[in-house]
This record gives sequence, C-alpha cells and structure tokens, in this order.
Amino acid sequence: MNRRQWFGHTLGTLGQAALATLQAKSGGLPHLPTHKPTAKRVIYLFMSGGPSQIELFDYKPGLSAFAGKDLPESVRNGQRLTQMSATQSSFPMVPSKFSFARHGQSGAWVSELLPRTAAIADRLAFIKSMHTEAINHDPAVTFFQTGSQIAGRPSMGSWTIYGLGSESENLPGFVVMLSQGGGGGQPLYDRLWGSGFLPTKYQGVKFRSTGDPVLYLSNPDGFGAGNRRVFLDALKEINTSKLDESGDPETATRIAQYEMAFQMQSSVPELIGLSQESASTYALYGEDARKPGSFAYNCLLARRLAERGVRFIQLYHRDWDHHGGLPKGLPARCQETDRPAAALISDLAQRGMLDDTLVVWGGEFGRTVYCQGRLTADSYGRDHHPRCFTVWLAGGGIKPGISLGATDDFSYNVVENPVHVHDLQATILHCLGVDHTKLTYQFQGRHFRLTDVHGKVVKPLLA
Amino acid sequence: MRIALGLALAAGLCAQAAEVRFNRDVRPILSDRCYACHGPDPGARKSKLRLDIESQAKADLGGGRFGIVPGEPDRSGVLQRVLTSNKALRMPPAYLGHAALKPGEIATLRQWIAEGAHYQSHWSFIPPVKAPLPEVRGADWARTPIDRFVLARLEREGLHPSPPAARARLLRRLTLDLTGLAPSPDETRAFLDDAAPEAYERAVDRLLASPRYAERMAIRWLEAARYADTNGYQSDGPRDMWRWRDWVIGAFHQNKPFDEFTIEQIAGDLLPGATLDQKIATGFNRNHRTSAEGGIVDEEFRVEYVADRAETTSMVWLGATLGCARCHDHKYDPFTQKDFYSLFAFYNNVPEKGFVYNFGNEEPYIKAPLPAQARRLAELDAAVTRAEVRAQESEATSRKARRAWERSYAKSAAPEWTPQEALALRDDAGGDFTGKEGRELAPATEVRLNYRDPFTFAAWIEPREAKGAILSKAEDYWEGTGHGLYLVDGKLRLHVVFRWTDLGFRVETEEAIPLNVRQHIAVTYDGSMKASHARIYVNGKPARMKILFDQGIWPLDPGEPWRIGSGGGLRFNGRIDGVRVWRREMPAAEVAAIALPESAAAIARKKDGARGGDEREKLRLAFLDLGAPGELRQARAELGQARIARDEYYATIPTVMVMTERAERRPTFVLKRGAYDAPGEPVEPATPAVLGGWNPEWPRNRLGLAKWLVSRDNPLTARVTVNRFWQMLFGTGLVKTVEDFGSQGEMPPHRELLDWLAAEFMSSGWDVKHILKTIVMSATYQQSSKVDAALRERDPENRLLARGPRLRLAPEMVRDQALQVSGLLVEKTGGPSVKPYQPAGLWKELSNGEDYKPDRGEGLYRRTLYQYWRRTVAPPSLVNFDSPSRETCVVRETRTNTPLQALDLMNDVTYVEAARKLGERMWHAAGGDEGRLRAGWLLVLAHEPNARELAAATAALGRFRVYYQAHADEALRYLAAGDSPRDTAIPAPEAAALAAAGSLILNLDETVTKE
Repeated sequence: MNRRQWFGHTLGTLGQAALATLQAKSGGLPHLPTHKPTAKRVIYLFMSGGPSQIELFDYKPGLSAFAGKDLPESVRNGQRLTQMSATQSSFPMVPSKFSFARHGQSGAWVSELLPRTAAIADRLAFIKSMHTEAINHDPAVTFFQTGSQIAGRPSMGSWTIYGLGSESENLPGFVVMLSQGGGGGQPLYDRLWGSGFLPTKYQGVKFRSTGDPVLYLSNPDGFGAGNRRVFLDALKEINTSKLDESGDPETATRIAQYEMAFQMQSSVPELIGLSQESASTYALYGEDARKPGSFAYNCLLARRLAERGVRFIQLYHRDWDHHGGLPKGLPARCQETDRPAAALISDLAQRGMLDDTLVVWGGEFGRTVYCQGRLTADSYGRDHHPRCFTVWLAGGGIKPGISLGATDDFSYNVVENPVHVHDLQATILHCLGVDHTKLTYQFQGRHFRLTDVHGKVVKPLLA
Repeated sequence: MRIALGLALAAGLCAQAAEVRFNRDVRPILSDRCYACHGPDPGARKSKLRLDIESQAKADLGGGRFGIVPGEPDRSGVLQRVLTSNKALRMPPAYLGHAALKPGEIATLRQWIAEGAHYQSHWSFIPPVKAPLPEVRGADWARTPIDRFVLARLEREGLHPSPPAARARLLRRLTLDLTGLAPSPDETRAFLDDAAPEAYERAVDRLLASPRYAERMAIRWLEAARYADTNGYQSDGPRDMWRWRDWVIGAFHQNKPFDEFTIEQIAGDLLPGATLDQKIATGFNRNHRTSAEGGIVDEEFRVEYVADRAETTSMVWLGATLGCARCHDHKYDPFTQKDFYSLFAFYNNVPEKGFVYNFGNEEPYIKAPLPAQARRLAELDAAVTRAEVRAQESEATSRKARRAWERSYAKSAAPEWTPQEALALRDDAGGDFTGKEGRELAPATEVRLNYRDPFTFAAWIEPREAKGAILSKAEDYWEGTGHGLYLVDGKLRLHVVFRWTDLGFRVETEEAIPLNVRQHIAVTYDGSMKASHARIYVNGKPARMKILFDQGIWPLDPGEPWRIGSGGGLRFNGRIDGVRVWRREMPAAEVAAIALPESAAAIARKKDGARGGDEREKLRLAFLDLGAPGELRQARAELGQARIARDEYYATIPTVMVMTERAERRPTFVLKRGAYDAPGEPVEPATPAVLGGWNPEWPRNRLGLAKWLVSRDNPLTARVTVNRFWQMLFGTGLVKTVEDFGSQGEMPPHRELLDWLAAEFMSSGWDVKHILKTIVMSATYQQSSKVDAALRERDPENRLLARGPRLRLAPEMVRDQALQVSGLLVEKTGGPSVKPYQPAGLWKELSNGEDYKPDRGEGLYRRTLYQYWRRTVAPPSLVNFDSPSRETCVVRETRTNTPLQALDLMNDVTYVEAARKLGERMWHAAGGDEGRLRAGWLLVLAHEPNARELAAATAALGRFRVYYQAHADEALRYLAAGDSPRDTAIPAPEAAALAAAGSLILNLDETVTKE
C-alpha cells in the first residue's frame, strides 16, 4: 500500500489535509499560478559582498582620462555614502585594472576576469541598471532576499514554495548552499532563507558540506538503516493506534513526516553521491566540483537538485566585499565562480533544462567608481555603491543575449531603464507564473507580499 | 488548507445571528475590502469618501451623491458601486486586481444600511466589562463563569462538551501547561490515589508554586521581548542580558502583579528611589537588535531601535499593529502616523548610539551584581579602604626615613627619576629631527597597545614646525591604523585609529602650542572607549580639548614599531627627548609632577619651604619609588594587590543594558515615509488618541506611558494579556490574531468570555496566577481532547471549545521533557546562558569568528530557557520546532509538523543520549521487556501502553536485542552518544536495545503532544 492509499484507507478526506502540510510535492495556493509559467524553478547564484560592476561588466573606457581625479560633485549630487567613506577627504576615481572585450553575437562587454561567462554571453541577459536603496550589507542582502531591508519577512524561496508548493517527491522544495570565497567575507544569517512570518516549514533547508548534509539526517552511529526500519514500523503502528483513538489529523501528518524523513535519508545521500557523474561533468565544471563546499560543487549539486524537481535553489558565494586590495581579491573570486556558473548554464542547456530553469547571478549592490582607502600604484578598493550595478539572468523565459539599461560615464548613476530590487523580484515571480501582487499573506492585519507595495515586471527581459 | 478551513469557520460563526452588527459583521468587510483606499490613511484615499468615520461616510459628497444613506440602501453609492456589473465602476476596483464582494457580503451591507447603518466603536477600543453570565441548560457541567460562556455558545450551536479527560492525561496536560515539564510517576500515582474532590485544585496550587512555573512562563515573555545573547544584524556580537532574563523568572515566581511587572519594565528607572532590580527590569526595551556593521549611518539605526521599542510595546501590550503607521497613517485602524511618532517619542530620549559596540553591552548599561556578588564586592572595597589607611599611616610614620632619603638623594648623580609603575617604554636618546626622518625603536622595546588598554604618553619637545609626528605606533600614512601623537597646525593631536573613516577616536587641543620652546607634553587615556576620557597636558596642565571623532570601539594592533619623530605619514622638525609610555592612565597630579623641569634631585636640594606643591608631590612620588622603607613598600604593595583584587572581581560582575533618560530631551518629529533623514512636524510624547484614558497628572515620559498601559481605562492591555495566556493553554487565542486586536484582527467568537477574563484579571489586581488558575479550574479546560469526525469537520480548530486542547509541545518542552524523563535534566534557576549540543560548524560556515563550542557537564542539561541564543544562527533544533527567531517581537505561537522534526528527534545527539538514559531507567525500573516498556510509558506519558502499543514496542525491542547481541561493537558505538557516562551494570546489547526502545517512546506522537 503506498502512502496515498494508506491515507485514503485510514482517514478519508483527512488524508488531503495531512498532505497539505508537507513541504514536498504538495502545497501551494489554489489561485496560483496566475499565468502560464516559463520557469519551473529558480537557481539563484548570490554573490555576497557586492561584486564590482566596474571590473566585471560595466565597461567605462572613458574613465582612464579621470584616473586619480575627484568624482565631480555634479555626478555625486549629494548622494549619501557609507560611514566608511563619508569622512574620506577625497574621492579619487580609479578605472578598472582589467580589460574588456565584446563577446558573442550579442556583443556583450565582459571583463577578462570572466572568460567562461563571456563565452556564454549570448545565453545571458545583463541588467546594467540594477539599483537598490541599501548601502550596507545586512540591509542590502536582506532587501534582495526578502523585499525589505529590515529583517523579519519571508525570503524569496519561502514565498515561492508557500505560493507554488514543491515538485520534489523526497527533497525539500527550497534548498540553500554556501561557499566561502577567500574565507574573510561578510557574514550571512539563517534568516536570509528563513520563512519570516510564514510557517517555518517554508524555510530553506541548508545543505551543508561538512557533517550531515542536512542537519540530523544521519542515523546515530551504531544504529543502522535496518534498525531504523524496525523502529519506524513500530512507531507507525503505535502512532496509528493513537490516531484511531484521538482522531487528530496532526497525528496522521506526523506519521507521514516520519516516512518522508526516512525517504530523505536515502534521497539526500543519493543526491550528493556524485559517483555517477561522468568525466565530462568535471571537464565542464572543473575539478573544484569534486570538493564539497566549493562553489563549483554547489553548482553541480544545484543542477542535480533541479533535475529532482527542487523549486528554489539558492547558492551564496561569500567574500566579494573589496574595500581594499580589489586587484587581488576580485580575480580570486572570479576564478572560483566564473567556470562553474558558466558550466551550470551550459549543462542545463544541454540537458534541455535551461528552458524552464531561471538562473540569476548577482550581489546586493555594486561598488563605487572612486577609491576607498589607500590608492597605490597597484592596489585600490571600492566602497559600496547602491545606485547601479549589474545582475545577469538566463533561461526560464528570459530573453537571451541582451543587455538592459545603462549607467553614466562614471558607472555612478543609472541613465536608462532602471531596474529596482522589487522589479527583479516581480520578474522572477512572473517567470514562475506568479503575479507578484497576488502572492500575499495576511499578518498583523496586513496583506504582505515579497515586493511590498512596489515592483514592476521588467517586460523587456522576457523572451 | 488549515487556513481556508479557519476562515470558513469564522464566516460560519458570524453568519449565525439574524441581526447585523457593525463590529461583528460589517467592519470586517469594510476594513478588508474598502479601508485601504477609503480609510484612515489620507495618502491612500482615492476620493472624498471615507468609510471608517461615520459622519464622513454619510456626508454629502457633492452633486447629491452619498456614500451611505441610512435606511436607504438603493440610494447609497457604496451599495450601487459594489453591485454594478460595469467593471470600470465596480468597487473594489477590478483594475487593481480586486475581486467583487461576495453576495453574502453585499447582503450584509444592504441589511446594515437598511437598518440605519449604525456605527460602533471598534470592540477592542472600548474597555472590557463583565457581561452577565448567560443562562445555560447544562448548569451542572459549568463549574466556573468560563464554562457558562462556553456552554451557552455550544448549546446555541447544538453541540455538547466532551467528557472530562482521563485523570492521568489531565495531570500531564496541566503539568506541562503550568511547568513545561511532565509529571513524575510519583506525582501521577499520588494524584490518582487522591480521591478527594479538591485533589485537582491541590495539584494546580502545587504546580503554580513550583519554580518550574516561573521558567515556563518566562520563555514566552523572552520571545515577545526578543531576548537574545547576541546583538543581531550583521556582526552579531555578544551581549549580556541574562540578569534581565532572571528578573523575569523572579517576577513570575513571586507572582508580581502584571501592572507592576509592566511599570518596572517600561519605566523602573523612573520610579522614586528605583532599586537595582527595578532598573534591571528596564532591560526589556534594550533587548532589540543593534548593529555594529561598519559603515552604517548612526542615526538611521538609532531611529530603528526606537521604532522597534514602539512597535514591540504596541504589539505586546496593545495587540496593535502600530508599526503599520510608521510610514503613513494606518490603513485599517484609526492610528495616525503622528500617533506612531508620539509613542516613539517616549522612547526617543535614551542616551544611545546607532552604531554599537560589537563585543559586549552598549551604553547605557549598569553593573548588576547578584546579592552574593554585592556582598563580596563590599568586602573587597572595604579591604581597599583598609589598605589605603594602612599605606597612609605607614607613609606618615616614615617621615624620618624620608628626610634621610631626601638628604642622600640630593647628592646622588643618578639619572632623572621616572615613575616606575607600569612603565612600558623609556627612551632617553631623543633626537634632533629635520622634518625628513624619524627613529624606529628597536623591536625589543615593543609595547603592544589595544583599544581598551589605558596608557600615558609623555615627552619633552621643542618644535620648529607646526606639523609633525612626535610618537607613534601606527601605519605610516595619515589615515593609518594605530596609536599616534602628532602636531597639526601647532595643535597636539591624539589618534587611536582602527579604520580612519569609522572606527577609532581622535582628539586635539583647542589651541596651538608655541614653536621653538622646550615644553612637556603628555596624553592619558583610561581605555574606556570614550574620547572624552582622553586628556592632553601641556607643561603638566590639562589643555582644552576638542573631540574630532569618537568611535574607539574596535580592536587594533597594527604590528608597527614604535617611532619617535615619525608616523602617520608625518615627520617632526625639532627636538624630542624624554619619551615615556606607561600602561596606565596617569592621574593629573602625577602628570603635573613629571612635567616639572626640575629633577627630583634638584627639588631634594631645595629647602622644604621653598618647594611648590607640584614639587613636593614629585619628590614624594620619587621617594615612594626609590626610597621607601620596607614596611611602607609592603603596605603600598598590599594596597596595589587589594585594588587589583577588587578590580578583577568587579570585572566579573555582570552588566545589563537598561533604559535611562537624557538630561535634555531629544526632540521627536514625524518621519516622512518613515525615513530617518526626513523629519516632518515635531511631536510630543503621547498615547494614541483613539484609545483615550490618559490622566493629565501623569508625567509625559515612560512612567506615564507605563501607567497608561495598565490603567483600568486602557481597553487593550488586559484583553491582550489574558488572550496570550489562553493561547498558551489552548494553542489559539480567544482572539486568534494575538498580535492584532484591530479591525483586521479577528472578531473573537467568544468575545464576552474574553472580556470577562480581562475584567477579572484587572479586578484581581492583575494577578497572573489567579487568572491561570481560573482557566485551568474550568470544566472547559478539563475536557478530553478526543474528537470525532463530525466535530472535527464542524470545528477543526476547536474555536468553540467543545473539547480539550491537543497540541504539539512548545519547542523548549520537547527538549526539556526528554531531559527530564531520562533523568539528565539539571534544574538550577538563572545564571549566564549555557551551550548545549549543536552540530559543529554552524557558526563557522556563516561568519568568520569562532565556531560554537558546546559546554561540558551541566550546561548540556539545563532547561532550554537558558540556552545561548545567537540571533543570526539560532539554535537549529529549536528553530525546527518553530521557535521564533528572536529578531523581533513575536507573540503568536505556531506549530508545524515537518520531516526535519522527525530527523531531529531520531538523530540529534540530545535525543539519542536521552533515549539511552531513558533505557537505563527502564532497565532499573522493572524486569522483562513488557515490564520495562510499561515503565518507559509511565515515565514519559504517565500511563501504561494499550495492548496494541505494547505489542508493537515489544516486538521492536526484541528485534533490537537480537541485532545488538549479534553486533556488540555497534551496540557500544550507539551507546557512546552524548557526554554522560553509560551505566555499565547493564550489558551493552541490552542497554542498546533499550536505548532504541527509549528513542521509540521519545518519538511517539503522544510524547511530543499535550493531550
């Protein structure tokens, strides 16, 4: 007897109520999707710390003429600065140390630091005109992940599985993976994948690279799978006796959750068992993909999670916060991420999955055109810059090979097609078939949503 | 699904009555469907029509158009517009994506208008009164007034109460509810054996008197108060608020009346003659998160803290979502943006910063010694005083020795005396610098200084230029990290910098010093992280000083050498000599002494009458250093030791962050769009006008606010508080939206019951134990929780209360119960937070600091209430079981049911170890598999298993035994989980099999459920 039959047998209609409380393969709001989705799932490659658009995508050849000169006040126009550079006595501009070239049929400008990304530029849509209001990491990352700078709201992944439920039989619908960069990056926080005021079952499940891949997944040492089966059979029998007595549907749900837990004990190891991956996989992602905890490994796992129907896959790569020593730090981060990110896109494409998988790459803000801290012949830093930066998207209904928006000659202000954080969120939801104004949850008397009271779908990005 | 059922029920509950009532039937429709555009927020109002205020809803809108014409639905614009089939005109507007009103809603509006369109104040804004108890047919069942209200409703609905719960189950329910722990088998037996009618009441009284009760009550309050052991936000450094946490436990234990409980937490510091405890209580409003992220705008975050206090206060006491009015007038409730900032103003007068210290408590904080600590400190203070007296006496009796020393010292040719205490660096070589070079001191002389180290720098200088470096231990560029003493525009400047732009402090003299003159300069600092505690002396006299930057709150240690004449990118032009560094803050009198040009020997040669005051002091100090006789030396050494002992002990005394008031009130403004840098009109501290009840005799400060919160005229506090108690016992509040009693909140199905309890709470003198006892003594509470299909369909959430509560245990109870039934629990009240098991690496993978280090010993087994709570990486097991994150105030209890919880209970070492110890207890309690399983059931569930349960468990135990007899190595590994030793009297295969059986019992649905 399978689970569904068993429920039907034992509980009649209550079986449905019990199933509705499972995160896996169920859930979602009855009125969603609001339209035909172009993406079934999202893989979000979050570059925590704020990668510099000036060295990576936003090519400003004119800057070399201004090297060392102060940013004109007419450009800065009284915009607020972080307290890290507000008391700086001067604002000398620094051009990128790294060269740019045009790539692909689309002719996208990409830095020499990202050769593999450059090679797949025709699959990507670059937003050059991303902007945010937050100027410090915590509020800025929180803004991207929850739509509010102040912590406490559900994360994008939580909203997604709350709204759409999960497609996976035996894995959580929202999975998070971290990689460390150089090891000195800005901290992250559990609440970035938390469920805020939504029930905690919608929180992201962190897959870890050390210890249990999912917390408490493994049986205790000395208590193997055979014993676990005996244990679960007895538990089910006793809990069913209780259910017959109490009539409480929560008991039925609990019985099902133990079975789900048991399934996860095999499905998760199967997921992370990379032995079936062929040599060509590693040729694509690089040898780093064999190292648990690397960005490359996480990208490979992201593809495997996507194959198994996980709806929202969130990666974080830390340590993009280059206040100083940028010419050393930035290439290291690019080295770690360029190949795997590009490999993920190519891999999804060759498996026919890019069409319904939306991939997003980007950080919480950009970096300033002027130097922060000490400017020397071979080193400089850049402060946080919320007013413009670059994010790219691919697959899942996004128009490939385009660049949207533009910044001024100093990569300081957006001059064309600004895209706000809420607009990006609205667009991601749109690709998932969700009108962002329809995905709401009533809390404290108010209908909350990911995009607060803002957000416009960025139509030119859509295929 | 559950939500949908709940709404259906609520609608069903409301549709029962024939007559339409505004608060119950109409307001929810208007609020949810109309107020967003036709409500309190003028910014959002789309036309003249305003429906939340009666006079405006019925006013002439011009052109003979009316929104509402009482008695005439068909002439009322509102009804026409909700009815029209023209989508362009229909309300709520289709173009904004809103659905049309449902026919039932339209019928309600029509009936209401036809009956005269009478408005009522929102129910929860009218102070509660006790309604007469309703007449009921089943008067025998109804033991208490609560039961009369419940039964009246059930009779109206054609339902019957459930029979009483089985006594053992009832005792377990009661014990878990009142103490957070399970009854012991002895307690269960005694209760079952006690046939007296008052047996149950005796159990209630016993449990309410238990110290466990206070711990159980405290944890929900900690969640509401967003209590944690770290600051949150990005850096998430540690803080110490456990003295406040223990105050809360103490308050519940003493059954402090809720009005005092409130007043002390909001304004204990403002009470006349405030005690230490009353000051500690105010920590409530300092439990919010604080940010130490580099680069933040100080004011932006300071404003955030004040707003957090206002929002938390309104949620905890008023059940009001006043935070919604932070950026604009409230869209549903009659709270204006001005109301929000008027409440905010009460909390806007704390002498505090937005950018806080990352390594401990931020000001304002106080030392909060425990009584024993206060006694010990008084002893040590007395010892210092005694030692001071002895040293003075000894010095007084050493006059002869002193005169002898002076005579001999006058003739000595020793180098000039320098105070020896904590002298760290002495350089007599000096130098004549040209403005191009400096001198690096040999590494052997390196003295490291960090940001909290006190120091004194001194030197003689004769500058030829007004700019240069005198002494530094800093990177050699202007904004570099480190300590530096410089001359800039002729002014002396002290830099202690970690990161120039935001971390460190800088001070300078107001006036320039003269060039080409030899002069003595000194700077002192006490390591207090306050720029104002730095001093600059010129020729022994304190110079007036300007603070340039004041954020010396971050460690620094640049690893640079000490340099004379260079550093900070500057070079000195002129002479420097007599450079000294002490690792202490030198007192002013001593600085004046060392700044004298005359050597101690020269002063010794003068006649005593010819010596000035500073000269006498210098000679005295030199004598104490160089010539003191043995007894005086001994007395001074003892004084030094007494001071160190006292200071070291003092440093171990916990501190707690508290509320205090600035001397001069900080003005408050409405902040446009909630933005910290967009002040609008000024406001005074005031409570929301719509709630009324302000007594003009109260001060317009936190004390007035506190008194208003617990005044008998406040319509909300008592209701909101008893509603949380109800939620604690029944899982759902009488008002389900425990955080929102406004018009978007739930209209309670048992409103008269809620009001009765609220009124009873106040008239009992806000007696918390009394109100809890009143509830648990009711027949309603004591019903069985079994439910049949019909009742479950009719009332899935048990809002009508035709049965007792059946709920998964609260997160902390899941763990506490497992520790208790396995015998591992260490019961000890209060103290610093503890660190039980947690999987390795969780802290490390998110941030760069240290990883979590679990305690050894009893810290592993204390109640969960005492568990260290790091906000950004909250304890994963508790979060699995739905603990709020402690980021912001949370008062709603939620319960989910997930596979992660199953994995946690099966595999977390906490539960594996508890299962092992439970197995040992079972082994000792009885013989035979069935006997031992029965014992396990009794230990955990207070009753024996039924035949089916016992059969399943016995079969499993048998199979575990067979397995472990064949795999003794695995048995040993399985038994190795956890730090507690295993009972080696039990053969390993047997112990392992029983551990597995123990785990089975700990994982039962019934075990994690209160029935």
